[in-house]
Amino acid sequence: MDPAEAEFLAEKELVTVIPNFSLDRIYLIGGDLGPFNPGLPVEVPLWLAVNLKQRQKCRLIPPEWMDAEKLEEIRDQERKEDTFTPMPSPYYMELTKLLLNYASDSIPKADEIRTLVKDTWDTRIAKLRLSADSFVRQQEAHAKLDNLTLMEINTTGTFLTQALDHMYKLRTNLQPAESAQSQDF
Amino acid sequence: MAEGLEVRELDSDGSSEELVLTPAQLLRSLEQAWLNEKFAPELLESKSEIVECVMEQLDHMESNLKRAKHGDLKVSIHRMEIERIRYVLSSYLRCRLVKIEKFFPHILEKEKSRAEGEPSILSPEEFAFAKEYMANTETYLKNVALKHMPPNLQKVDLLRLVPKPNLDSFVFLRVQERQENILVEPETDEQREYVIDLEEGSQHLIRYKTIAPLVASGAVQLI
Repeated sequence: MDPAEAEFLAEKELVTVIPNFSLDRIYLIGGDLGPFNPGLPVEVPLWLAVNLKQRQKCRLIPPEWMDAEKLEEIRDQERKEDTFTPMPSPYYMELTKLLLNYASDSIPKADEIRTLVKDTWDTRIAKLRLSADSFVRQQEAHAKLDNLTLMEINTTGTFLTQALDHMYKLRTNLQPAESAQSQDF
Repeated sequence: MAEGLEVRELDSDGSSEELVLTPAQLLRSLEQAWLNEKFAPELLESKSEIVECVMEQLDHMESNLKRAKHGDLKVSIHRMEIERIRYVLSSYLRCRLVKIEKFFPHILEKEKSRAEGEPSILSPEEFAFAKEYMANTETYLKNVALKHMPPNLQKVDLLRLVPKPNLDSFVFLRVQERQENILVEPETDEQREYVIDLEEGSQHLIRYKTIAPLVASGAVQLI
């Protein structure tokens, strides 16, 4: 899966916006939204929030965890622990990127947040590389990956699974009984 | 506009009666089918009811929007949603076609040996596509090369020629319903096989073959 598709899935997450227009409830196929009243916060999916923001029809309220202090705690925790710590949102990276790109004016300390999330991400990816390495070395057949987010899995996922498949092929070809079939080609 | 939407609501309830799904749940199951299809090495069972229901929803919405006045904010929001759903839908169908083109002899073979009453993994359209693709490939090979070969070499067995889907490949998954006693086969001869439990909500990296039935039943979601 490419990052764009992970982002596509993240765009379904609900965020709070404060609209500056009024509109009745809308009945989307995926559920109802609204009603929209100027100045009253309302929850909408991210794709709509970003679009409204681009048309300057709303102000975005960042999610609770998107706060420099909280993110600092998360980053320190992530650095302290050897395993993956739970993230505040399964789409934390995508949300941060989208919100900071399109609504950095409504997020206090945007630059600080960007760095903090990036640091957390780097720590987690480093851990992921390390554990993938030991997974391959020990020739394990199963791994548990709790608390990893979709984006993180997909950055290393395709490469890792392909590598494992190739290694498996090479290994099974060493055992003559199973290799007979592939010799036919 | 409001009246048009009212009609849609009624109709959508009516059409989803057999499945007992709300439109929102319908979209979720389409999304799940899409992700599973994307990550599974083999072609999964066709979800034609879901595809049909979603198409119906989209058509309804389209016809409602035609009656609405242009430039309305509401209309543009609805349009955006439709585009998003259509993307998932076409990506799902395209993904299946790619797999059919890749594994067509095996898929058709499976279809032939399928017992009476067992559901087909292909939709009628996909079946027609697979058959045509097979026929075209055979004709092409014959015209380009085979007919110029000595008579004893003019046969080609596509079943042996086209690689099978690799069911041993690794997949990532998230558990939707708790599962017990999943047997994990060892990678090397020195290791011993062992049993794991899959807790709800946990994520794993494992061979597709081990959990293939769970993907089909919806107990796990590939990610």
